[in-house]
Amino acid sequence: MGGEMAARQHKYDSLVKLARRWLEQYAGQGELLRQPAQLVRAAIPTAEPLNFHSPLPPLPPRFTVVAADGSQIQPDRHGAVLYYLINIGSLVYRHGSGEAPLAHSEPFLGYAEEELYEDGLLLSGNLLDLRRDIAEVTRLADLCASEPQGPVVALVDGTLLLWVLEERSEEWQRTQVMRYLDQLRRIRESGATVAAFASRPRRSEVSRLLHLASVDGDAQRAVREANPLEHLPDRAIFETLPPGARSALFISPASVNQNFYLPAGQAVHFFYLNLSAEEEEPVIARIEVPAWVAEQPDQLALVHAAIVAQARITGDYPYALARADELAFISAPEREALEEMIATSMMRVGVMPTPSPKAYYKSLTRSGRRRYGR
Amino acid sequence: MKNVNLRVGRVLRASTRGFTIGCAVMQPDIPAFGSFVRADGATPHSAIYGLIYDVSLEDDPFVRQFISANPPEEVVRDQRQNRQVPIEVSVLTVGCADGEHIYHCLPAQPPITLDWLYQCDEEEVRAFTARFDYFRLVLEARETPADELLAASLRFAAAARPEEERAGFLTEAGRELSRLLAGDMVRLEGLLRRLRAEMLRAGKSEAW
Repeated sequence: MGGEMAARQHKYDSLVKLARRWLEQYAGQGELLRQPAQLVRAAIPTAEPLNFHSPLPPLPPRFTVVAADGSQIQPDRHGAVLYYLINIGSLVYRHGSGEAPLAHSEPFLGYAEEELYEDGLLLSGNLLDLRRDIAEVTRLADLCASEPQGPVVALVDGTLLLWVLEERSEEWQRTQVMRYLDQLRRIRESGATVAAFASRPRRSEVSRLLHLASVDGDAQRAVREANPLEHLPDRAIFETLPPGARSALFISPASVNQNFYLPAGQAVHFFYLNLSAEEEEPVIARIEVPAWVAEQPDQLALVHAAIVAQARITGDYPYALARADELAFISAPEREALEEMIATSMMRVGVMPTPSPKAYYKSLTRSGRRRYGR
Repeated sequence: MKNVNLRVGRVLRASTRGFTIGCAVMQPDIPAFGSFVRADGATPHSAIYGLIYDVSLEDDPFVRQFISANPPEEVVRDQRQNRQVPIEVSVLTVGCADGEHIYHCLPAQPPITLDWLYQCDEEEVRAFTARFDYFRLVLEARETPADELLAASLRFAAAARPEEERAGFLTEAGRELSRLLAGDMVRLEGLLRRLRAEMLRAGKSEAW
């Protein structure tokens, strides 16, 4: 196994070297690659050269970072009662104020018929994730709207690209995405900027772009010919970024971006960012911003610098996002307490909460095994 | 010490000899080591008195991140004011009351989970320390730093009295200790030295 791992590492190192060589070699071909990149779902270049990097910009003495994150309890059809819970945690961190940040948790308990079902489907799994994502960005928009004037950066964890079920109708998908984009628009109207932060990103969109460049931008060849960089995460290419610097901007090739975000003027752009301080190992994150942030150099610089400032508090992850996650998290004892409260309220009105036989026996068999004798 | 009953926190676990309470945030007014506290007893108007002998902060992996990182003031305030930093306060039981009398003995029953613990006001401290029978319970409490605890409690008890009474009060306490610890001169000397320091702090320099 050790030999296998060493061989794999050697191969990985040589792929990283190849990708970096291609990044330099094809740095100026962004414009030529823009069209075919969309066809092969590769990162779409912007006006910035592929190997461009921008140093850490200066920060205003005072600025605010607002972060929101969510968690949920999925409805359990074996439980005593059908319900779901979405809990949104948020933190408003005013840099340079010396004040305690504003911490908040906002739970929503869905149990009424109209809350539990959408078009006849139980709100669970991906549907519930979608609701949570929209609730997160809505909370961010609310907080941005109530912030006093001044530079404000709103942060979400992961991505700005809403994951919509592709088997649903286009109209349904559009409705969901527009609800999300309406909240991004509210953030813009409040004068704030917005970004998504992905820690240890695994996407290979820039890798795919470099392979496309290596076959002269021929999309058909790129599909036909094996891509040696196929499984190389983009972050490996950008580990040479100087501390605090960002990579070039690219546009996400995701179909939801091309189909809905782009026509709405909110195409998601992304860049890679080295969060580490001088003389530390590189820590690469992927940052997504909508077009209206990407196209404003001062807003882009604020997002860039604010995320580095936030991440350097903990070392490698924005403090405000870590706290928002903590505020959103529903622990097992909290879930038990909630279920007890629900059961009590049912009994008060004369309804006995009864779990399904399966849930009942699971509660018996999983409560701890005992062994008699040897 | 203020003449108000401050709530310190709620009882987490308890036994006849002592109990532990939990609180989320360290408030400036939360009683310190050696303070007199009171929990409600099992029957109406009854109370259980104790001395705080330990305040501990539980380990928190998130806070560990910032120990050597010189965090910004906003982070320090967030950790102290917003996060549920678990603080445990341990109390040694030194007496009880039935609504009419105070007894320097262990109560028939300990407080129960989630009972409130209050800081005693000056009047209560004066009433409780009108006698010194509770000394024996403290001196025999092996789980506590007993001598330090007794000296600290006497400092609070002296502070609850008018300035002109403090030295006399501490002198009486010293005499009681001399009787209790007549067979242990080393320990007695250490305790008296601490009381002498308290007397100096009270503005009087006469010693035993």
